[in-house]
Amino acid sequence: MLIGKFVPINSIIHRLDARMKIVSLIFLLVAVISTSTVYGYAAIIMVLTVIIWLSKLSLFAVLSPIRRLWLFFIVIFFMNAFFFSSDNPLFSWWIISFSGEGIRQGIKVVFNVCVVMILGNVLTLSTSPIDMTNALSSLLTPLKLLRVPVEDVAMIINIAIQFVPTILEESNMIRKAQTARGAHFESRKLREKALSFLPLLIPIFISSFRRADELSLAMEARGYRNAKRRTKKAGVPFRVLDVTAVAACFVICIIQIYI
Amino acid sequence: MEKMSYVKCSIFTAACIALCIVLPMAFHAVPMAGPRFLPMHIPVLLCGLICGWPFGLLTGLAGPLLSSLLTGMPPQAFLPSMMVELGFYGLLTGLMMQFVRTKKVYLDLYISLVTAMVIGRILAGISRALIFSAGEYSMAVWTTSFFVTALPGIIIQIILLPSIVFALEAARLIPRRYPKGLNDK
Repeated sequence: MLIGKFVPINSIIHRLDARMKIVSLIFLLVAVISTSTVYGYAAIIMVLTVIIWLSKLSLFAVLSPIRRLWLFFIVIFFMNAFFFSSDNPLFSWWIISFSGEGIRQGIKVVFNVCVVMILGNVLTLSTSPIDMTNALSSLLTPLKLLRVPVEDVAMIINIAIQFVPTILEESNMIRKAQTARGAHFESRKLREKALSFLPLLIPIFISSFRRADELSLAMEARGYRNAKRRTKKAGVPFRVLDVTAVAACFVICIIQIYI
Repeated sequence: MEKMSYVKCSIFTAACIALCIVLPMAFHAVPMAGPRFLPMHIPVLLCGLICGWPFGLLTGLAGPLLSSLLTGMPPQAFLPSMMVELGFYGLLTGLMMQFVRTKKVYLDLYISLVTAMVIGRILAGISRALIFSAGEYSMAVWTTSFFVTALPGIIIQIILLPSIVFALEAARLIPRRYPKGLNDK
């Protein structure tokens, strides 16, 4: 699972300004949510293909979060297909209502979630932690008027993103260790499967907080106090490529809203 | 009481936000596991309990936002109401832990937790009724979604959260709320 891990490659997407990447992501998310026609979906798939191609990231890395959640997508699809209330059901019994609208709704929900996950993954895979922190800090600047310490907030959010793959890795290790001690996580009953995760929670929290403690000690030992006192070089101006990317995403967003 | 440094609180908050993304992923394979087991609530409440209200509030706002951006869950339609709800939980647990001091850690934890969970649900219900689902929200929907469906999650939180706080204290990752006196040895 590569969510949150930066993969350094020399690509157009990697070279884009991180602030512009976040703004573009927001425009594309609005476009995805607004999509309701087949042409709209086709356009979104084309845009996604171009982004992945331009990013030069391996398809395996980009699609890894989706592979992990395939069961979730199947469940979501069938829940929509069988429980979506429709005026013209193909088959209806008790609370179950199987309809064409339900199938379409299921496909729409699964598609939207997949696209959002891929876009979020491309952003984190193609943006270095430092760039992400600076971008968040820059985009959150208006909150300074409300006396919000935006530099600290940006630093916390960035560290949180970096923590995700680490915690996922540790969770897997803890799960394997518990399995070796005789715990069962592969129950076919979904309720039992959910409840089997509970004994993992305390070890996951302890190991995550231990990691956090080590990191905070290392930061304090190096003289870090808070992000506000940090200095940085002069702001990086936007380039033609950055503005073009945001403009393209904005146009896609507008087209999707009005299609 | 020894206080945690600002840097340590910040990094613990980052860990809690990361857990807001990781924990729901484990429950995604189970239908209706989110509204039933409330996996994202646990790190938010925990952050409020151990780091204080500003950090709890940040976890409540940033946790669902980042989770939605990286994993698509919660869906964007539910994101604002969920951010408000979790923001209230983080804020209220932190505030309650600041003001409630009974000299007994368990009592402090339970009073803060239960009060934050009840007031948070009331405020989240009001915000849904007035802003997010104005005109379509009813008392029955509020009771069902916040108490009936979420009952397993509420029980898990009440049992698990004080245990996690004690486990963290025992592992010396957070300072004791009431340090043991010489007479206690």
